[in-house]
Formats: sequence, C-alpha cells, structure tokens
Amino acid sequence: MSDWEPKIVSFFCNWCTYGAADLAGVSRFEHPANTRVIRVPCSGRISPKFILSAFMNGADGVWVSGCHPGDCHYIEGNYYARRKFALFKNLIEYMGIEPGRLHFSWISSAESTKYVQVITDVINAVKALGPNQQFVKNKAKVA
Amino acid sequence: MTLITLDTKSWAAGLTAAADAYRLFGPVREDACHTFKALEKGKTPDLDMVNTRLSPKALIFPQSDIILEYSLDESREDHHIMREVQKDVTPRAVVGIRPCDAKATALVKLNFDAPDVKDPYWLAAYEATTFVGVACDAPLSTCFCTTAGCGPYSEEGLDILVMQKGDGFLAKILTDKGRAFAKAAGWNPASGDLAAFEAGKAAAEKKMVSAVQTDHLEAADLLALHNAPFWEKTAFACLNCGTCTFSCPTCWCFDLQDEVAGKSGVRLKNWDSCMFPIFTVHTTGHNPRETKVQRVRQRFMHKLKYFVDKYKTGIMCVGCGRCVRQCPVNIDIRKVCEEMNRFNPADACAVRD
Amino acid sequence: MSGYTEKMRDIARRLLETGAVDMVIGFRKGSLPMMNEPCFVTRADDAHCLVWDGHCGINLANYLTDRKEKIAVFAKGCDARNMVTHVIENKIKREQLHIVGVPCTGMIDKRKISAMTKGEVLAVTETDDAVTVTTAGGDQRFDRADVMQQNCALCVHRNPVIYDDLLADPVTEQTIPDRYADIRKIEAMDAASKWQFFEDLLAPCIRCYACRNACPLCYCPTCFVDEAKPQWVGKGQDATDIRTFHFLRAFHCAGRCTDCGACERACPMGINMRLLTRKLEKDCQSEFGWEAGMDPNQRPALDVYKTNDPETFIK
Repeated sequence: MSDWEPKIVSFFCNWCTYGAADLAGVSRFEHPANTRVIRVPCSGRISPKFILSAFMNGADGVWVSGCHPGDCHYIEGNYYARRKFALFKNLIEYMGIEPGRLHFSWISSAESTKYVQVITDVINAVKALGPNQQFVKNKAKVA
Repeated sequence: MTLITLDTKSWAAGLTAAADAYRLFGPVREDACHTFKALEKGKTPDLDMVNTRLSPKALIFPQSDIILEYSLDESREDHHIMREVQKDVTPRAVVGIRPCDAKATALVKLNFDAPDVKDPYWLAAYEATTFVGVACDAPLSTCFCTTAGCGPYSEEGLDILVMQKGDGFLAKILTDKGRAFAKAAGWNPASGDLAAFEAGKAAAEKKMVSAVQTDHLEAADLLALHNAPFWEKTAFACLNCGTCTFSCPTCWCFDLQDEVAGKSGVRLKNWDSCMFPIFTVHTTGHNPRETKVQRVRQRFMHKLKYFVDKYKTGIMCVGCGRCVRQCPVNIDIRKVCEEMNRFNPADACAVRD
Repeated sequence: MSGYTEKMRDIARRLLETGAVDMVIGFRKGSLPMMNEPCFVTRADDAHCLVWDGHCGINLANYLTDRKEKIAVFAKGCDARNMVTHVIENKIKREQLHIVGVPCTGMIDKRKISAMTKGEVLAVTETDDAVTVTTAGGDQRFDRADVMQQNCALCVHRNPVIYDDLLADPVTEQTIPDRYADIRKIEAMDAASKWQFFEDLLAPCIRCYACRNACPLCYCPTCFVDEAKPQWVGKGQDATDIRTFHFLRAFHCAGRCTDCGACERACPMGINMRLLTRKLEKDCQSEFGWEAGMDPNQRPALDVYKTNDPETFIK
C-alpha cells in the first residue's frame, strides 16, 4: 500500500484556477502531481454527472475549483455552482462516500501559493483514505 | 406418464437428494413477497405463495447477461476478438414454478429456438433446466390463465407437475427430464391416483374469476386494429415505465450493450422494454415509435395480434396477472384485450370515443 | 374526502358544457382494489366516470407536460405545488389550467394494507377516519392514520397553494415536529454504514424507471440514462449504475420535489427512494430557506443565488 498513489480528477475553471496552476508551474513551485486536470470554461459548467463519471471510472478523488464569488468571468456562474455543489456534496456523503474524496475551492489566477496549498491538502486527504472502492464501476463479471 | 405419491418427508428428502445432481431454484420468501432464488442446501421451496412479483424467466433469460468478452490490449494476440464466456450450464431444476410461468417459457422458446435462428445462451440454460411445477390451487382474482391458453394445472413447458394433496404431494412425471429428476430424488414411481389430478384441476379452474376473450383477434384486420381510435384513451394513463414488461414472463425483447473497463470489454444482453423511448431507435436517429401511444400500442399489438398471427398458437400472454397487479396506473391487459377483441372497424367512425 | 366525487363530476360537467375547458383530467375507478386510473374526459356526458378517494396518489401534474389544450385538472396540495413548478418551468401556461383544488387528508398506502392483511385484498372501503379491507376470510378494519402513505403522514401542505375552484373547505394542516427524523438517522451513520444502507435499499431495483416516469419533474426529452454519446451509466444490473441512476434522478429533482410520493407509490419493488429526494428537500430548506412549488412568482432554488449562500465546504 505504501507505493500507492491516488488518482485525482481536477476540474479547473479556465479563468482562475487553471491559471493559478500554470503560474505555480512557471514559478517552479513544488507540489505533488497526482491530479489529472480538466479545463472547463466556468465552475458553473460542472454537471453532477462529470463528478460521478470520474468516480465511476476509477478516480480516488475529485476536486473542483473556480473563481472567488464576485470574480466570475461570466458574472454569476460560480454563484449558481455554489448552490449546486452544496447539495451535491451533502447528497454524495449521505450516500456513503467519504467526505475527504470530494473537494471544492476558489482559487484566483494570482493565487499560485494557495493552489499549491490546496493541491497538497487534497492529495493528502485522498491518500489518507486509500483507494476509492465506492461509486467505482468495475468490469462486469460472468454470473 | 407416471404418478408418484409423496409425503412431506419424502418430498424434502427427495429435493435434498436431487440437490447433489442439480442446482435447485425455487420461491423463497423475502420481506412481504416471494422471489425465485437458488435454494440453500436442505431448504425446500416455500409453496405457500401467491404469484411472485417477478416471473422466474430471469433464471433462463437473466435481466443482464454477459455473452461475449474481448480485450482491446493490442499486445495480446487475441485482441479485438470476441470470445464466448464460459457459463455454468450444469443441470438445474426450478422447483415450484407455476404452470403459467412454465407455459410462458414455452412461448419464449418460440422466439429463442426458432427454426432459422437460435439463441445459444438461452438454449443452453433452457436445456440444462428441469421444470418441476406446482399446480395452483389458489388463483388470485387477477389471474386469467384458463382463458389465456393455460390453466392452474397446465402441463405445457413442465417436466413434472406436482399437486399438493392433503399433507403430501402427488407428482405427475411428464418428460424424460422429469423422469431423470425423479430418479435423482429417489422418488418411487407408479403409485397414485390420476382422478385426484382431475378433481384438483376442476376445483382450481372453478376458482378462476377473471377471463379474457380472444376469439376475434386472429380474424381482425391488422391495420384497422393498429389504427383503431381507442389507443389514445388506452395509453393516456401510461407512464411508459417498464414494470409490465419486466414483470411479464413472456416478454422477450433484449438489447445488446458493450461495456469496456480499461482494456477489457464485455458484451451484455439486457432486457429491453417497448415502453422505453429508446426502444429500437435506429442509428440514424429515427425512432419508429416516438410517442407514448405508439409504444403502448406496440406492447398490446405484439402480445395480442402480431404474435397471434405469426405463430397461430394463441396470445402471447399466459394470464399470470402480474402486469395487472403491478401497473402503477392500472392499465389492465384484460380491458385492452376486450377492447381489441370486440373492435369492429365498421363501428369506429360511428362511435364518438 | 367523502362527497368529493359528486362535486367533481358537477364541476367537470359545468366546465365542459360551457366550453370553459377542452378536457378534464382526473381519475376513474380502477379495475383492482386500491387502484384508480388517471383519465381524461372531453364530453360532459362522460363526467360521471370521474371518482375521488384515498387511492388517487398518482400526481396528475405528470399528465400536463407540454399539453396544448385548455385543461381542468384536480389537484391535491402536492399536485398543485407541482403545477406551480410546471408553470415556472414553462411546461404549461397558467392560463391553460383550470385547477380544481382538492383539500386532501392523505392517500392510502396499498403496500401497507397488503402487508397488514392476510390473504388477497378483494375490496377496500373508506370513511374519513377508517379503512375496511375485505378478504376471502372476512373484513379487517384499520385506522386511516395507520395505513396512510408516509409522505402524506408527513405532509404540511394538504391544501392546494393555487386553484381556480376549491372542492371543499380547506382541511386543517398537520403540524409535524420533525419531518426528517429518518433522514437524520442516516446522516448520523458513518460512511461505510451509509454506503451499506443504500446498497441494501437499492438492491431490489429492476431499472424499470417507474419512479422516474411517475414523477412530474422528469420530463427531459432524453433522460441521461438513455443518452448514448456519452453514455453516463451502463444499462445492466451493475450496482454502481443503479446507484448512479438513483443519485442523479434525485439530484435532478433538487429544489423541485414536493414529496408527492408518486415515485415510491409507482415502484413495483417497494423501494423508498424518497429517502434521497427528501434529503435534498431538507437541505434546500436548511441551506437556502426554500420550499418547492409554493409561489408561481419565485424562481426555484437552483435557478437563483444569494451572495452570502453557505460555503463553509469550499476551501
């Protein structure tokens, strides 16, 4: 188990967190690299289906990050997203997924240090939980 | 035809003995309902049941069945080659199946064992299975098997028919498969009274309160029936859920799906339902039955007209009443059958609804 | 609710005779005990087939989606709230509807009755406070409160929120000290127990989609489970696929569900999937102070926001 590294799917808003990740890279900050980044136009674009699909396809953790409230490139996309995420996170935990598997953050394109902090936190949280056994769809078995 | 009289003890002992040679399935009580399941060693089927919620058709025709598997890993020599999966087709027996469900298996066989096309998966499971039916002495008010080409003591599709008699059982061996099962069970043949069967049958049939009339269906004009004005009213309440088709012992439609995880994939044969909006949607996007009314009509026309015309063996319904009891909005095949059977195109324009 | 049937027929007759509506949507007597069939009536002469009793649990808002006619429809408290939601979501115009409000004292749970009765239920009669079940072995009498659908026992909006005609005087609303005791019990479990709880709850599911189709909120032209490009969920009996279906079905009803109970009532396997929708109902109330379908002039919970919405879960 000690060799095990989690796979984390990250959905980053093009206008902020994606830039922060880029800036962290150009600034040569060091951080663990277990995430697969998917760039989206806005955190408001995230459908619950994306998050569940990530888990179904074997992600050990999912992280969604967008612009701070008030800073949305599309004025209010992240406000709508925030309501959706609140209900979503509650429901998925209610159905039995561990709280440490799904993370949300607001990181502006200038906050590369926050980016490094959050990615480290997210990876540590998922690592502590071990491989995801829930919502993963394994190959069907012959009856 | 051989008769065997059994007391409760030899019934149970016989099933235990048969379990060495057969995997046994039968009705098991779960919460408030009965379900057909593998019987645990030493357990007898619970015969104190009304019809199970779901029919036992899944024992031969599973709701979701892997039929082929393959690898997409190009470093393997057999990549992209479909392989048949190995299944357990050792002998098994369904003990406690109702005559209606057994007759339904015989109807489903017409589709999966046609002269020109055969479904190897269904057939392998079917041929491995011995059907030990238990006659039905307590039909429900929604059962109409006697007028649906079946009956509480119907023998079609069965290898052994057992009737409950007093504290024991009377078994009628009907086929070679049945004889082999009786031998494995150590049941001693040739004792018993055929008249008891006839009496039981007559008594059970007398208890049937529900009926359908199907005498005009075959002669009816197919297109006229298809275009009949009553379908809109018939279909109005329908939610287009799959409850009727999934609980039906004779519904045989299926859908093929590929599922891939990483580099290995399987092909699945899943139950389909004509109630679903994507049922038989073409790859072009064309949907031959786009509306609810068309889909409801498809279900009843298939069961009560297309099947009747094609196979000339009556309707594709055995009168088990499951769809009647379970439809969430009370669409009742008995009422629809009545409407179809009495439909006269000449009256259609004169009648206002 | 005794006497409703006659009043309904009178109203239907009047509306059809005067041409005020093109059709009336209601229930007709079913062919089985405890079942009525949703139906429509277009001629005043046919109004006599309409009935109302404790077995009208199917939500008639389901039959209004995208209809073009002028329609009179009977609405219990929950149904009326779904009609509000339909109007808000442009599934029908308010002007097309003549809502006949039905003050409701709760629908009877056919599964409870069958479970509490020995033998096949042959007939059921009801009064305002009792239900009598006839079987081959004789009659059994139950208190109406003991055989009510759970959502009705927990209902706090028995009277329709909008209507054009009201069938009878409003009934007294129930006060329920804790509508979500069962939800809290699940919330208090640890993650593994929660997982197992829903594993067991959903195990009997046969994916007939009766819950989805009985729901007036589920009107997408193509449901996500039917989509092929991409295919969000597999179509077999895989437990993850089944769970994902139930999760997303419930989530699509977030902030819209009125707990009418149509899903649970329709389920042939008796699954209480309301445990999912009610969790969302509870959270919508506690997080956003929102109750679905109460006001045609308010946008639903996920279609609006406040700048100070809760966000402690966001880093």
